[in-house]
Amino acid sequence: MTASFSLRGVNKQYGKGATAVHALSDVSVDIQDGELLMLVGPSGSGKSTLLNILGGLDHATSGEVRFRDALLTAMSDRDLTAYRRRHVGFIFQFYNLIPSLTAHENVDLVREIADNPLSAADALALVGLTGRMDHFPAQLSGGEQQRVAVARAIAKRPAILLCDEPTGALDLQTGAQVLEALSEINRLYKSTTLIITHNADIARMGARVVRFADGRVREIETNATPAKPFELVW
Amino acid sequence: MRPLDAKLLRDIWRMRMHAAGIVLVLGCGLAVLIMAVGMRASLEKTRLQYYADKHMADLAVSLVRAPDRLAPVMENAPGVAAVETRISGYALLDLPQVAEPVSARLISLPRQGRPRVNDLALTAGRWPDPAHPEEALVNEAFATALRLRPGSPLDAILHGHRQRLVITGIANSPEFVFVTAPGEMFPQPERFAVIWMGRDALGEAYDMRGAFNDAVIRLAAGADIRAATRAIDDTLTPYGSAGATGRDRMMSDRFLSEELSQLGILASFIPTFFLIVAAFLVNISMGRVIATERANIGLLKAFGYSDLAIAWHYAESALIFGTLGLIAGIAAGTVYGRFIAGMYRQYYHFPNLEFSASLPTLILAAAASFAAAGLGAWNAVARAARLPPAEALAPPQPANYAQGGGLFHGFAEGLDAKSRIILRRIVRFPRRAATTALGIGLAISILIVTQSFPAEMTYMLDVHFGLANRQDVTLTLSEPQEAGVLHDIERLPGVITVEPFRIDGVAFSKDQRRVEEALFGLAEGATLNRLIGRDLSVIAPPTEGVWLSRPLARKLEARAGDDITIEQLRGRRIRATVRVAGIIDPMIGSSAYMSLGNLSSLMREPGRISGAYLRLDPAAYAAFTARLKQTPALMGASFVSLAERSMRKNFNEHMGLMTAIYSSFAAIMAGGVAFSAARVTLAEQERDLATLRVLGFSRLEVSYVLIGEIMVLALLSLPFAVLFGTGMAIWMTHLFSTENFAFPYVFDPAGYAFAISFTLACVLVAALVVRGAVDRLDMVGVLKARD
Ligand SMILES: Nc1ncnc2c1ncn2[C@@H]1O[C@H](COP(=O)(O)OP(=O)(O)OP(=O)(O)O)[C@@H](O)[C@H]1O
Ligand SMILES: [Mg+2]
Repeated sequence: MTASFSLRGVNKQYGKGATAVHALSDVSVDIQDGELLMLVGPSGSGKSTLLNILGGLDHATSGEVRFRDALLTAMSDRDLTAYRRRHVGFIFQFYNLIPSLTAHENVDLVREIADNPLSAADALALVGLTGRMDHFPAQLSGGEQQRVAVARAIAKRPAILLCDEPTGALDLQTGAQVLEALSEINRLYKSTTLIITHNADIARMGARVVRFADGRVREIETNATPAKPFELVW
Repeated sequence: MRPLDAKLLRDIWRMRMHAAGIVLVLGCGLAVLIMAVGMRASLEKTRLQYYADKHMADLAVSLVRAPDRLAPVMENAPGVAAVETRISGYALLDLPQVAEPVSARLISLPRQGRPRVNDLALTAGRWPDPAHPEEALVNEAFATALRLRPGSPLDAILHGHRQRLVITGIANSPEFVFVTAPGEMFPQPERFAVIWMGRDALGEAYDMRGAFNDAVIRLAAGADIRAATRAIDDTLTPYGSAGATGRDRMMSDRFLSEELSQLGILASFIPTFFLIVAAFLVNISMGRVIATERANIGLLKAFGYSDLAIAWHYAESALIFGTLGLIAGIAAGTVYGRFIAGMYRQYYHFPNLEFSASLPTLILAAAASFAAAGLGAWNAVARAARLPPAEALAPPQPANYAQGGGLFHGFAEGLDAKSRIILRRIVRFPRRAATTALGIGLAISILIVTQSFPAEMTYMLDVHFGLANRQDVTLTLSEPQEAGVLHDIERLPGVITVEPFRIDGVAFSKDQRRVEEALFGLAEGATLNRLIGRDLSVIAPPTEGVWLSRPLARKLEARAGDDITIEQLRGRRIRATVRVAGIIDPMIGSSAYMSLGNLSSLMREPGRISGAYLRLDPAAYAAFTARLKQTPALMGASFVSLAERSMRKNFNEHMGLMTAIYSSFAAIMAGGVAFSAARVTLAEQERDLATLRVLGFSRLEVSYVLIGEIMVLALLSLPFAVLFGTGMAIWMTHLFSTENFAFPYVFDPAGYAFAISFTLACVLVAALVVRGAVDRLDMVGVLKARD
């Protein structure tokens, strides 16, 4: 297996001097292509910070982040935009759909900037939303909105899928549907998938689980047999 | 400080860019309001004071010749407080520093003491000594223009005799606050003088010993002006009186009154525009504040603040905007008013004319300011007051785009997603879109209106000098003379073409209605001086009967085919009946027109003319003017090219400046609206734009969504702006048109192009400035928050 990401001595510091916050301290980790990786840890431990750096939304203060052969930490804003555009799919806790576009159009949006995208209909079919294509976000439930966000993220067949607490605002049943879709995509398209969660059970889904504390990687567990989303008992 | 007060200040600080725009626009509107209302009040007050101090005449009358003994008779007429009989005439002046002869009006001073009516204000020198007949006073405007001082000599041709006068003093008169030569529309201080001389000196010069040909009358307070007029007319009619007339027929006062009414129009028209736009801006920005403050409002209400307290809290920001705008307006209005007062001093010769914004003016401005701010805030404040706390505290649902927009559905299909976002936002929230578009449209409209002024003035000048008055010189004779005089005129050096004219002051009457107006006799086949209609057609004199201009016909209630009576106002007071040949719409003037031959026959002076229009050979100009200076029997010589040059110069200086001022005010308005609209759009879209950036859209693509929406709204506003602006410009020309002056609306494509492109450029710049924020969008932050 080839390494998708490799991180060496990554630091992220907010502020300076006495009030400085070390959001990430000396993080070094390799993530394999096509891997389903779970990020867990207490609030404020640096999970989102890491995800944002990997997604090219934020810069590390020091250290190296490599995506395949490219050094993300050396990229300009413009290059990072191009990187996000080509390779990254995001899913957030609050969906972040464009309210003025229908489900279908929200997915179509990213197809405008992708090389070899899925059709919006296929992407929505993957998350089980074929019947709601022409609804606006305001007409969809939270779970449905999140599944549109998933469809939007996967439509461009991203090499990397970054999910920050994708089920944080959902009930169990709905959350399971979303996770099901994510693992399905990981299986079908071999997208490297990173999911942040506070839920220990959900974490069992991943082949590996990276545990954070105080901005450091505390331990990395390996699951020989990752659980299926619907087997998870919450 | 109460916590809510602290919050209020923070709110205003947060919206300081909006606030600056609101204050600027309010300030501009109030500045014009304060200038116009204040200037009007100042002019009115100064006029009143001046007229009272110097005993401005209530009635004036000119006649052929009456014996001095009639003065006490007139004094005893009912309602008459004082009478000053005078000798008045016209003369040409021969000044070494001016090539052309200058026209002058001469007026006698009483033998003893100062004039009891139309007294003078001496600004330099002393009164003439009756023992020295050559001593004279001259009006200040003329003296200033030609740098004449007490002691300067002045060569005049009085009644055919050359005479050297000596200036002893410089004076102003309430009778000549605004000084124009007879027949001219515009003052040319260096071309026309008013000269006051001793009664005996003028009596000698005009052969009027023991007699007078002019009287000014002051009435007692509360006197019946009609009764007094009738009494004066009864006394003077046998002596060739033209009939006593009130101040409405006195040139200077008439111009002043017209200026006052135009200031009134300015005071109501332009500020209204600005105040409406200021209200718009308040509406846009307050609406935004309330939308972002939903949670706070809910919280405050949950804590127990009443709806009224909440409403007051937000109304206070409107009050603060109103106050700041008022302060800006008073400061700018005072500067502006002083500037305008300085300009007025060049045209209106009062002893002292100062601008001051009176208390009522300031109260009016304050009321206007708070009304605009309050009206703008009303909607938002009411919304804040109505918001139920529970709803305010619940997280906002994503705006529902499912409603509406059906019409555009098919259209949206064909667009890319970014354009679709723009379209949907406009279609879904038409009121918000319309508010922005209306604001931008109003900015374009006011620029169209201000840009139309210079185009219209230029058009007027072009028509007046290019089509109507193509002569080089107009010569006016002291008395109508036999047509033989034309041969003498033709023999003047350099004369190429001569065209005679006749003008009689007459009273038109039909049934009970009576109107005094000029009746022109026009030469047939005239090429130099022609009557031009509003449609720019050349109106030939009627072969039979008389043309009435529309305002005159309206006053007489006369129609084509009616017979009307005319009565000559001077001399033999010939009465006759003529048929109305038709009603015409001349560009300038509210008179009546006949053919020259018909008019002179009607006045039983066949062939006699009042003057002539001349075309000159430029090479012989100097010889012509030199000869003219020696010519007796001329009342006036008007040099059209000099008049044109002076009018165009004045126009360029003053109109140009005024247009620049109003255009920059309009530009501030356009900028304010554009900036507000762009910032509000950004605020509303911030989250969506950041999401697009996260998804991998470039800055350029994201900026398109932001700038596109504003530009689309600006483009949508164009049809409204052009229609409304044109409507306003036309309405404005009607407001500024007077009875004898039809101010035309002129479509000037360059003005429209400027108004539109300038405003669109403002919008684009504002959008680009705001676009800078797209670069600083907090992509990480927007993902954390729920909105
Ligand atoms: N913009 C910022 N400025 C200052 N400090 C920040 C900023 N963003 C994050 N931090 C700090 O960095 C640390 C890591 O934050 P991060 O958001 O990565 O935590 P997290 O593990 O995602 O927590 P959670 O589970 O609550 O989402 C925290 O202590 C946080 O306070
Ligand atoms: Mg987090």
